[in-house]
Amino acid sequence: MKKLIALLLAVLMVASVLAACGGNNNANNNSGDNGGKTTENSDPFYGEDNISLLVWAPDNAVSLTKQLCEDFIAKYPNKKITIDVQAQGEADAAAQMLNDLDKAADVFGFVCNNINKLQQGNALAPVVADYLEDVKSRNTEFAVSTGTLTVDGKEQLLAYPETGENGYYLVYDKQYVTDDDAKSLEGILAACQKAGKKCLINIDNGFYGCMPLYTGGMVNNGLKEDGTQIFNDYDKEKVLDSLEAFAKLFHEYKDTFMSADPARIGSGMAENPSTVAAGIDGSWNAATVAKTLGDNYGAAKLPTIKINGTDTQIIGMNGAKLIGVNSRSKFPEAAQVLANYLTSEEVQTTRLEELNWLPSNKNAQQNDIVKNSPALSALLAQSEFSIPQINIAETFWTPVGTLGSKLFKEDDYSRATLEKEFDKALANILDE
Amino acid sequence: MIKSYKVRRFVTNAFVYILLGGLGLIWISPLVYLVLHSFRDEGLAYVSYLIPQKLSFQNYIDLFTVTKESSMNFPRWFMNTFIVAIFSCIISTLAVMMVSYAFSRLRFKARKPLINIGMILGMFPGFMTMIAIYYLLKAMGLLEMPLVALIICYSAGAGLGYQISKGFFDTIPRALDEAATIDGATRNQIFWKIILPMSKPILVYTVLTSFIGPWTDFILAKIIVGKDIPNYTVAIGLQMLIDADHVLNNFKKFLAGSVVVAVPITTLFLIMQRYYVEGVTAGGVKG
Repeated sequence: MKKLIALLLAVLMVASVLAACGGNNNANNNSGDNGGKTTENSDPFYGEDNISLLVWAPDNAVSLTKQLCEDFIAKYPNKKITIDVQAQGEADAAAQMLNDLDKAADVFGFVCNNINKLQQGNALAPVVADYLEDVKSRNTEFAVSTGTLTVDGKEQLLAYPETGENGYYLVYDKQYVTDDDAKSLEGILAACQKAGKKCLINIDNGFYGCMPLYTGGMVNNGLKEDGTQIFNDYDKEKVLDSLEAFAKLFHEYKDTFMSADPARIGSGMAENPSTVAAGIDGSWNAATVAKTLGDNYGAAKLPTIKINGTDTQIIGMNGAKLIGVNSRSKFPEAAQVLANYLTSEEVQTTRLEELNWLPSNKNAQQNDIVKNSPALSALLAQSEFSIPQINIAETFWTPVGTLGSKLFKEDDYSRATLEKEFDKALANILDE
Repeated sequence: MIKSYKVRRFVTNAFVYILLGGLGLIWISPLVYLVLHSFRDEGLAYVSYLIPQKLSFQNYIDLFTVTKESSMNFPRWFMNTFIVAIFSCIISTLAVMMVSYAFSRLRFKARKPLINIGMILGMFPGFMTMIAIYYLLKAMGLLEMPLVALIICYSAGAGLGYQISKGFFDTIPRALDEAATIDGATRNQIFWKIILPMSKPILVYTVLTSFIGPWTDFILAKIIVGKDIPNYTVAIGLQMLIDADHVLNNFKKFLAGSVVVAVPITTLFLIMQRYYVEGVTAGGVKG
């Protein structure tokens, strides 16, 4: 009896796994076909009809996306299209996709740091040839680079850029920090110290801790086959110079500088009396912080830092939100048309107006809303001084965070110690 | 060496009470913080002081207000969890009681092997099978109805938790069964009319554990419900409130939600508390 039950269960499991594989093959064939199609065709759907698509959008964009999808359906009156929009956080979308591609959305928004994972899981159908050139030319280079990976030696655009940023910027309280102070980290820290408030940078988290490395000229330059990090040909002395400059400042302003969760910046500014006067905060908190500070809200690109006497622009990590097409979509052509529509100039402008999302589209970025919003202009300016958050090894975050914590936690920050810590972090990243 | 017994007792007691008081304080402080700050009116996510400056019910009102813009629907999540917990509770309690009764009172050939299999299966940690459970549910098409799937998952294997109640049933004299049999009662009647009414403590214990399990479970619920936000349970919903994108605005709601979640369990516990202590210790008397 026991054996019989075990056998039955095993058969059931194998059957379900096989069923999943079957679906995969079909879809792969389909998406293989799309890649080669370049001929002009009056029907962007290539004959697909009775289309039903599932779209994932983040919580706060669901109602807008629903409305946009209705506009999309109205554009093709001779097709039968139904679109369902479900809420799904962009950070978690990749995990949910890979969890079960068959049950996942056809068109989904995600953040670009998950693109490697999605590509390895064969979850993404690349941007089809029909739209490729247009997508590349209408979006900023930075945004396109966040969706581009080298697959089998060929550069491929795997998803449609949706926003121009998903990173961090400098936020400050104008009561205590002037626009001039905000130009350099030295100025900010001095102003905060004078006001008796904290300046908050989450330097012991890899996402923010990479700033000293990038400022010193290091760049994540791709991943090896086995997922090991590749760096550019950086000058170690320059990286150490940068680390030293950061460590020196953090020690000089020991009572002012604080490393903590960026949500504490907004929280500290909302306190009465406020405890935080400036910080490097995520763009996802911008709306709330701007509301809290009102007219005193100041936003700018990351400041400069004095390295060996020269003011050097701090380079940060920056992502973008992308819209991907599920490689196993039952309507691969329609999904591409919809993804293209959802990232078009017109829709990005709507999103800018309704949700304050910075567009990746070059024309949409010229909109007055961007110019009049301190946060959006700051984010736009910052994207020039950013390393795209793609091709980053899983092993990158923790060692970089640890290295960041050494910059302010340890009393000894001599060059020799920093070099030792840097070597240690590098060895851990490269898993040596 | 202190001679006087009184003084010695005082010193020992003082020491013990201070130690216990300190430990108690450490243990209860997060709960006090949680309740206190769930009423905090000012500030966003975090504040740098312990006592809120202004108290209000706003966080609770916000928590139960459903807006069109947001898919966060705490009342719905609460109801989902409640439905799942109630059904799992009823089904598992019945299953546990019946299995225990069969193993305790009936004598059949496979009794010993079944008891052993049950013991061994119970030793595997539940999350080992989660991936398999997901694919099985998917193959059966149950993932479209995540709440039903959850009820099945929580109650299907419940009968395996028979050990404690079987131990309790073993302590009820068989003479009662025999007397009832002589009066013409069937096995079924004995179970419902004799054994169950006499097993209130263990029944209460089973009800409590099988209600709290689904109510607080996170991992299995997260895997099965996945991204289906309207069908979230409170555990996953609360976690969604404090992910990086939402924490600044929703942290206070999260605190309020954590307090609200404790209400049904506390109520159930208070109602059944009288029997609970007896129930926990009763099964262990005789194995």
